Amino acid sequence: MEDMYHADRAMSTQQDIKIKADKVQVYYADNHAIKDVDVEIADKTVTAFIGPSGCGKSTFLRCLNRMNDTIDICRVEGDITIDGEDIYDPKVDPVQLRAKVGMVFQKPNPFPKSIYDNVAYGPKIHGLARNKAELDEIVEKSLRKAALWNEAKDRLTAPGTGLSGGQQQRLCIARAIATAPEVLLMDEPCSALDPIATAQVEELIDELRQSYSVVIVTHSMQQAARVSQKTAFFHLGNLVEYDDTDKIFTNPEDSRTESYISGRIG
Amino acid sequence: MKTSLLAADARTKKRNAAEARFKAYGFAAIIVAMLALLILLTSVLGNGMSSFRQTYIALDVALPEEKLDKSGVRDLSVMSKVTTIGYAPILRNALLDALAAQGIETELSDKDIGNMISKEAAATVRNKVLANPDLVGQTVSFDVLASGRIDGYFKGRVTMESAALDGNTSPEALMIAQALADAGVIETKFNWNFFVWPDASDQRPEAAGLGVAILGSLYMMIVVLVLALPIGVASSIYLEEFAPKNRWTDLIEVNISNLAAVPSIVYGILGLAIFINFMEFNQSSPLVGGLVLTLMTLPTIIISTRAALKSVPPSIRDAALGVGASKMQSVFHHVLPLAAPGILTGTIIGLAQALGETAPLLLIGMVAFVREYPAAYTPDAGLFGEASTALPVQVFNWTQRSDPAFVERASGAIITLLVFLLIMNAVAIYLRRRFERRW
Ligand SMILES: Nc1ncnc2c1ncn2[C@@H]1O[C@H](COP(=O)(O)OP(=O)(O)O)[C@@H](O)[C@H]1O
Ligand SMILES: [Mg+2]
Repeated sequence: MEDMYHADRAMSTQQDIKIKADKVQVYYADNHAIKDVDVEIADKTVTAFIGPSGCGKSTFLRCLNRMNDTIDICRVEGDITIDGEDIYDPKVDPVQLRAKVGMVFQKPNPFPKSIYDNVAYGPKIHGLARNKAELDEIVEKSLRKAALWNEAKDRLTAPGTGLSGGQQQRLCIARAIATAPEVLLMDEPCSALDPIATAQVEELIDELRQSYSVVIVTHSMQQAARVSQKTAFFHLGNLVEYDDTDKIFTNPEDSRTESYISGRIG
Repeated sequence: MKTSLLAADARTKKRNAAEARFKAYGFAAIIVAMLALLILLTSVLGNGMSSFRQTYIALDVALPEEKLDKSGVRDLSVMSKVTTIGYAPILRNALLDALAAQGIETELSDKDIGNMISKEAAATVRNKVLANPDLVGQTVSFDVLASGRIDGYFKGRVTMESAALDGNTSPEALMIAQALADAGVIETKFNWNFFVWPDASDQRPEAAGLGVAILGSLYMMIVVLVLALPIGVASSIYLEEFAPKNRWTDLIEVNISNLAAVPSIVYGILGLAIFINFMEFNQSSPLVGGLVLTLMTLPTIIISTRAALKSVPPSIRDAALGVGASKMQSVFHHVLPLAAPGILTGTIIGLAQALGETAPLLLIGMVAFVREYPAAYTPDAGLFGEASTALPVQVFNWTQRSDPAFVERASGAIITLLVFLLIMNAVAIYLRRRFERRW
């Protein structure tokens, strides 16, 4: 197991840069929530954001698909590029961006519709399928990728809200995958799940790395260590340390990181 | 010191006593409320149920050609020159014949006997004859309205003692009526015409109906629904989902809440000034009434719609935006369908409120006495624009009249109004139960 992670990590350092953030500041009215964050997130890699609660992990994550636009008092400064393109450029339509940068939320939030409709909604509004057959195919593929197909294939018309918590979260992942994104953002995707469901979702995240750049916020350091190749430690709105996951957990450079992972702040 | 769980200590006793007292107060309050409701319902039902029954006299009326058609060729222009005054003696004769046939002897004058028949009956028969001129020359069976006093006698409102003091009837007339009823000529039966006929003058309560009022109320409800629902829902969606939260929207919000509390008569004054004086719509028309009620209902609809939109969890909006739906798509595909039951409930309750509203309608002149179906209610006329009345206004109107028969009519109208309100509220409750979703 350990060996596998090492091998992966060695590989991951050669990956292309997918997302690049440069001197990002975020303000909620007068509250300076993110201070001067620079980070480069690699493609086909799981990057974990850890840090004590309220340090700005979610805020920074939401900058990456401009979900912060929906909060009136929120103001973002600095540059964030995906594949070299500035996502805060006035020419960028956040709606298009969000199809490319999928998001999974802390609490599973399936639409109160059927499982099929949940997954099909994104492709429908983006016109990804020309006919019913293609749509069916996208739904099946997404559910398979989200490791939900076997459980859901016989009840596609059943409401998504009737699934168990872990299944709902995988349904949300399937829904995010269905729009063929390049980046998947996950904000504490397992915090509302029991250990077994958590293990299933973690396994899934590891597989998703094949196709996407995954950024996951987690409050569980064990989870960060288990699923990620890169880890960023946030503290009071600053990005304190960003490095390979095993380096952060075995040999952190900053004393604040060390205190956090050894349980002294948090 | 060790305390026993088996003996309640002083604090616990006090707390339990307070709780018991509180429950008793609540129970007493509910009893008082139920009693009030019970008294209200018994009084209204007791007074009003009889308005759904009406006394009729079955007469075989000979329709003589020499009186009704001087032309002899059924020329309508000639026939219509014979007014109801010409028909009244014909009906009186028919009643006299019926008395003779039953062998009922009386000292009453023919005029007093004629008074047992409603003045409305002549008009009814005349209309039937003009509609079907071939009836002239034949003897035709009609169920004609008995006068209000005779009707009142069979409903217990008029007694021998009261008739003795009454210029419009006499104990002898009541005795004849009783004899005719025993012979099966006079019958009290279900009164469909109460829901069909328009209002009638002070002298003929037996012919007064709710037809125009029901239609007027219906037309106003249509105006309110067509205007208030889309405007209210659209503005709520804008305010709740799209508008920036700043001082201006706060101001608007406070104003809408205040508008909901504005006394309805103020809306009447507003309607009078804007719709009648400035825009010169017809006074007393369902259009103006509907517009005024729309203004009054809008705040209710906006407030309940906003509450329904607010109750849709933000996670649903996030989910939609997260897969790349636009703001509008997230609202129309997800938020609005989830809020729909709440919106519908609010709308129906707003409509029910509007249906029972009286004061603003009085101010825009809907209190006018409407004797005829407005031309607007015939399908080809310009709908909505003509003078009409409405259910609650009709109640108000009838309670102003002196003849006690109108108390019965007013109570009947109240029952009708209550039934409509009950139906609307039941629909609202059904919709809420049926479509409510829990998270
Ligand atoms: N919608 C919001 N409005 C105002 N302040 C917010 C909002 N969301 C987060 N914040 C503030 O931003 C800071 C970072 O919050 P967040 O990103 O949620 O932290 P984390 O996800 O690391 O727990 C906190 O101080 C929080 O109070
Ligand atoms: Mg968070």
